Amino acid sequence: MAALPQLIEEDIDQLNAVLSDLLTQSEAAGGLVIDKGGFLITQCGALQSFDTTTLAALSAAAYAATQTIAGLVSETNFSCVYQQGEQHSVLIQNVDENCLLLVIFKASASVGAVKYFAAPAILKAAEQLRIAERRDPSAKLDLSTLNVADTSSLFRKRVA
Amino acid sequence: MAIINQATKELQIKIVYYGPALCGKTTNLVQVHSNVQTNTPEGKGKLVSLATSSDRTLFFDFLPIEAMAIKGFKTKFQLYTVPGQVIYNTTRQLVLRGVDGIVFVADSQYDKMAENVESFGNLEDNLKSLKLNLADIPYVLQYNKRDVADAAPMDYLEYLLNNREVQVPSFGACAHKCDGVFETLNMITRLLLHKYINESGRKVA
Ligand SMILES: Nc1nc2c(ncn2[C@@H]2O[C@H](COP(=O)(O)OP(=O)(O)O)[C@@H](O)[C@H]2O)c(=O)[nH]1
Repeated sequence: MAALPQLIEEDIDQLNAVLSDLLTQSEAAGGLVIDKGGFLITQCGALQSFDTTTLAALSAAAYAATQTIAGLVSETNFSCVYQQGEQHSVLIQNVDENCLLLVIFKASASVGAVKYFAAPAILKAAEQLRIAERRDPSAKLDLSTLNVADTSSLFRKRVA
Repeated sequence: MAIINQATKELQIKIVYYGPALCGKTTNLVQVHSNVQTNTPEGKGKLVSLATSSDRTLFFDFLPIEAMAIKGFKTKFQLYTVPGQVIYNTTRQLVLRGVDGIVFVADSQYDKMAENVESFGNLEDNLKSLKLNLADIPYVLQYNKRDVADAAPMDYLEYLLNNREVQVPSFGACAHKCDGVFETLNMITRLLLHKYINESGRKVA
């Protein structure tokens, strides 16, 4: 299974620019780039009132579940998850092998418009992730130059 | 694979608690959530349970927590459980996607030994279906429910589940009393961080 490449500032800046354009064009409230393992990579927009860490984890799971459902009914084209709400709607779309795009928008807005603007955004995001990948395909995590704290008990139990 | 974000100085690591139904996986997360000491309130996220009305884990439980493992680097751990019931295998495979480390929780009750062994075999199979190999993934064993009257001896559990070329750290636990819960979590996070450090060439004592 391919792993997400190491992301540097330039990648995140580019992804943020893509999200920001998408939000301006589509008037959506917020956008998230999510790793399919459930991690939030970056986010943009008015998302203060949302728990985006949990949103990312659950969206990745919902998307994976939808893909599996597609497989069970021999469908190959369940490429997005869309849920219309009363206040907000959510659209989750595939970016590439590792990533997803989630857009939150006002329920009154049209999902068609969001999809229309999301399509080029997805291509741009995928391209940036390819750039990150090509930068150094072998580069995995390198913590050797970092200053590691004592790892023997990272988590402490609260004393009653 | 853990993701590293140089821009935000963040490392994100996914740990999955695996094991047979009712062995105490959810209890581990509940105890971590209610007892962990964090420097900031944001250091501990919400514990999310996708469970049935009868409280059985349906999809997974999820708990995000943060630690300063490396100076200047925020390490975000995401703890997941899988549903233990045999029929939910597809769900277990989904949760394992992108896993970095595993805590295998075994039930110490004598009559659960077959289930423990089966669940362990199922873990290996599911990793294979994701093109992963258990030998390449840091994992620890937790022998939970040490308090029950018919608990199998630790040696016996070791013989059943930790009888490989390379033995992994194991802990006895009473998860519902929080005994052994932090020991287990701290060991898996330690193995994970050291793996990443050693992979990049430098050995750490
Ligand atoms: N006796 C005893 N019961 C435990 C222990 N840990 C968990 N339990 C109980 O075992 C049951 C199943 O636990 P749960 O965490 O839901 O299991 P899961 O299916 O693996 O998530 C619950 O009733 C817990 O209270 C333990 O160490 N000893």
